[in-house]
Amino acid sequence: MTIGTEQGTSVALTWTRREPPHRPAQAQDPAARPAGDDALERLLALVARGDERAFAELYQRVAAAVFGLVSKVVRNPAQSEEVTQEVFVELWRTAARFDPGRGTARSWIMTCAHRRAVDRVRSAERAARRDDLVGRRDQGRPYDEVAEQVETTLERERVRRSLDALTDLQREAVVLAYYGGHTHREIAELLGVPSGTVKTRLRDGLIRLRDHLGVDA
Amino acid sequence: MSADLHTLTGAYAAHALSDTERQAFERHLEACPACAQEVRELEATTARLGAAAASPPPPELWDRIRAEALVTRQLPPVVGRAERRRRTGRRGTAAGRRVPPLLAAAAALLVAVLSVTALNLGLLGRADRADRTADLVAAVLAAPDARRFAAQPGGTGQATVVVSRQRGRAVFVADGLPPAPADRTYELWVVNRSGPRPAGLVKVAGEGRVTRLLDGPVTGNEQVAMTVERQGGAARPTSEPVVVVDLKA
Repeated sequence: MTIGTEQGTSVALTWTRREPPHRPAQAQDPAARPAGDDALERLLALVARGDERAFAELYQRVAAAVFGLVSKVVRNPAQSEEVTQEVFVELWRTAARFDPGRGTARSWIMTCAHRRAVDRVRSAERAARRDDLVGRRDQGRPYDEVAEQVETTLERERVRRSLDALTDLQREAVVLAYYGGHTHREIAELLGVPSGTVKTRLRDGLIRLRDHLGVDA
Repeated sequence: MSADLHTLTGAYAAHALSDTERQAFERHLEACPACAQEVRELEATTARLGAAAASPPPPELWDRIRAEALVTRQLPPVVGRAERRRRTGRRGTAAGRRVPPLLAAAAALLVAVLSVTALNLGLLGRADRADRTADLVAAVLAAPDARRFAAQPGGTGQATVVVSRQRGRAVFVADGLPPAPADRTYELWVVNRSGPRPAGLVKVAGEGRVTRLLDGPVTGNEQVAMTVERQGGAARPTSEPVVVVDLKA
């Protein structure tokens, strides 16, 4: 029997957990990049290697954005927490698959969050029926809620103004799809326009938002 | 046809396509750099819309996420993916199915060890000791000072030990562990300067998943090892460990 006790076999079998000296992300994050996308990419790379501190820091940086978006789409507090948990465990699990060639870390994270949230409402909605959609629209929900919520930060203000700059149809398509989690077919039905129109309005609307917000990717 | 597809970038970035449409569009994306670039930009745009809805999650959510992450196996990187795409301009269809070499090697090693030890017939033993309560396991996994130690890659890559020094306890977590041979059982050991002490028998659940509180206190200055023993376990290890995790690292 040869379970290594001290130096012997144990050294060869030791998995070295010590990462190269961990540098706090802020220290490397020039003020010029307040969005910290480089920092997020670096954190993701550490998370991919199982670094728990990096995972904690990543969470601190994006948890509010993820939870806020998920809550907006899912609209049920307990389910929003569940979906947020799914999102972060998924990020932990698949961090090594993040491909910077396909977009920024922030985009990747938010896309993952949005997809999970949409999956959750779609599976719930397959049970419920269409007439319910009309009811929801009558509550005047998505856009008004967004408009209400967007007052604190400059970023919210910018997004709100950018949404205001869209045509009504573009804005309704974008808001119903992104915050409402609806497919283009559902939106077509809600707005009483052909679904081909919804697709092009979604694209036109997002392109306009992109230009208005000065997004580069 | 493809002129039509080009207009789907917005609906795709907003997740407004049906599953079939999405799959068709993703195939198109592989062959259309212009659309791929536009999707990148529109996804960065929707990310801004998402961030505008930010609101802080309840504080205890992090503990739950952390506890689940600690027992979740991470995917290895897809090696050479970007290379291959650059060279051939197509996606690597095999990537998703390929077994990571490390995992394959680990599995082969484990099988080899088990087939040798399986030759030795043991006494019929008693049933496995009952696992400690899930509460204790959860307490260790969610402890603020919990640290995770992985088994040496090339040994058996998917075993992990989570230790809370504050609580003085540790949890052994494995995934993809083959069932122990008939009449045999896995046994855990906590090894310190004075040698190994038994830390419990391992019951392998579906898909080789194991979450087992180690018997007895753990200070964090030990190694954890797992051997194959006869049913009922042994007082001293009688075979080479199939897993060794060093908690001092």
